[in-house]
Amino acid sequence: MIATRPRRWPSAVLALVTAVCSIPLLYLVSLSLRSRDDVLSGSLLPSRLFWDNWPDTFRSLDLGRFLLNSWVVALLAVAVTLALALPGAYYTARAGRAGERLSAVVMASYCAPPVVAVLPLFFLLRSAGLNNTLPGLALVVGLANLPVAVWLLDGFVRRVPREIEEAAWLDGLGHWATLRRIVVPLASPGIVAAGLICFFLSYNELLFAISFQQQTSVQTLPVALSLFQGDRNIEFGQQAVASLIGIAPVYLLAVLAQRRLVAGLVAGAVK
Amino acid sequence: MSAVVAPPRPSPSAPADAPAGARPRRRPGLPGLPPRPRRGGRVGRTPASLSWPLIAALLVFSAFPFAYLIGLALTESTLARPLGAFTGLDNLTEALSSTAFKGSLWRSTLFALTASAVQLVLGTALALLLAVRGRRLGWTGVVLLLPLVTPPVMVGVAWKLLLAPVGGALPSIAGSLGLGDPNPLGSPTGAMVTLIVIDTWQWTPFVTLLVYAALLGVPRDLLDAARIDGASSWQTVRHIVLPLIAGTLVAVALLRMIIAFKLFDIVYVVTSGGPGFATTLSSFDIYRTGLQQFQVGEAAAATIVFSLLVGVFVTVVSRLRRRVAGAAG
Repeated sequence: MIATRPRRWPSAVLALVTAVCSIPLLYLVSLSLRSRDDVLSGSLLPSRLFWDNWPDTFRSLDLGRFLLNSWVVALLAVAVTLALALPGAYYTARAGRAGERLSAVVMASYCAPPVVAVLPLFFLLRSAGLNNTLPGLALVVGLANLPVAVWLLDGFVRRVPREIEEAAWLDGLGHWATLRRIVVPLASPGIVAAGLICFFLSYNELLFAISFQQQTSVQTLPVALSLFQGDRNIEFGQQAVASLIGIAPVYLLAVLAQRRLVAGLVAGAVK
Repeated sequence: MSAVVAPPRPSPSAPADAPAGARPRRRPGLPGLPPRPRRGGRVGRTPASLSWPLIAALLVFSAFPFAYLIGLALTESTLARPLGAFTGLDNLTEALSSTAFKGSLWRSTLFALTASAVQLVLGTALALLLAVRGRRLGWTGVVLLLPLVTPPVMVGVAWKLLLAPVGGALPSIAGSLGLGDPNPLGSPTGAMVTLIVIDTWQWTPFVTLLVYAALLGVPRDLLDAARIDGASSWQTVRHIVLPLIAGTLVAVALLRMIIAFKLFDIVYVVTSGGPGFATTLSSFDIYRTGLQQFQVGEAAAATIVFSLLVGVFVTVVSRLRRRVAGAAG
């Protein structure tokens, strides 16, 4: 580390940066507690606490439904991603040259902007009868996050000692069984981190969700909020409430899994 | 924070203990038992079947879309009936004559370059601060994670409300400081700068985390040696630390550019591409053309042009990256 001894001033600068960066979120909280007139008055803080925005938002938006849709899509998408990425990452990590080549192809596919897949998959989903369904969207989002998952998991699989795998083969286990019974349990902290990161990506996704889910009943929260907000919506308080309700679950997960996430991100990226 | 340091990557072609070209020796095993495997030997041959799910997924998510896009671009299509009459290059001509799309290619590039440059500088500066602070990451880790995991739509809504001309925090702060009535989203430059600021808010922590991890890998004795030689902190950073992490910096910058080219949600929520076409980035323009104006063929042709641009861009930067990595040893 660069410092010979801990110093004070960097902490002060970091605290200042954190304070400035938290303004947008703090302003959401402030808006959520102010009436329409109070917002228009141009003050930064509520002149008096106005709680009605919270129940009112649930009346103007079917928040429960959208949250549920978001969770269903995100969880299914993570399942799709991990089911495909685990054997894939085992292959890229252990198959030598062939693995490196496949890994390069996966990374190349990650470079393409997701908008590339929107129109073709729109038609594909429709011909499969999966448009306007939660599993259809989850499938696409799950595939979209596959490169990220392979990239992260590859690093974690490489850390599993080869000797243990070799012992498993000697005992007659095939590669698939070794993956299931040896590699997955040993790499589970990394798999949890990769799964969480994919969960965030799926939960936050807008482009595919807004392109494929035309019916309100299957929309996710980002889609619903992106349609709810807008220049004509003067209910700042309600927009703030809906945003905060959408943010809360990811923040809770991020705080709970902080260590694992940081380690996962870093281990994946610094290879 | 030692858990954060990635282990050295084993070299992909780990040399088996036999020299290249030598025939694999058979080891005498016990009768009736398979020959004992050598470390890293052939028993560990990874079956190709493990790669099939991934390859199938790539076919569905990458190969099929590209093939289908070419089909869409060469034909007359509507959302209801794709792949109608063959129209040759009409869609491509149409896409390339669209001012909005042509401009969007330039704006996407400008956005990707500026945003990643700003974030690389700020992110590295913050990582150095964290390293100088010289403690474990602790709660700073949470603070760094939160912007990253915030759903972009919500980030957009928060910033839009913050900047709203009436009822926003910025106008009232500026008003109380006597700075007039700023409305960044009302001017072309202001709107683009706003997008970059929002993206920087969201993504700088990512750069910080990765650079910080690279900093943890800088060998301590090098720094001690520099200090004994009388190098100032800045000299140490400039001549020892930064060259050592140059590879990471370029890799992170490349990754950030790739992600920045994908930006859609913030544009959709905060500016809708406006004012005029000032913030119409390519992903947003293609979405608008295909799914709001239903010009499916034109959108497909535009998509192909856009992905070619990104492809060329990424290739050039990766070449550069290899050169830097080579120079850094």
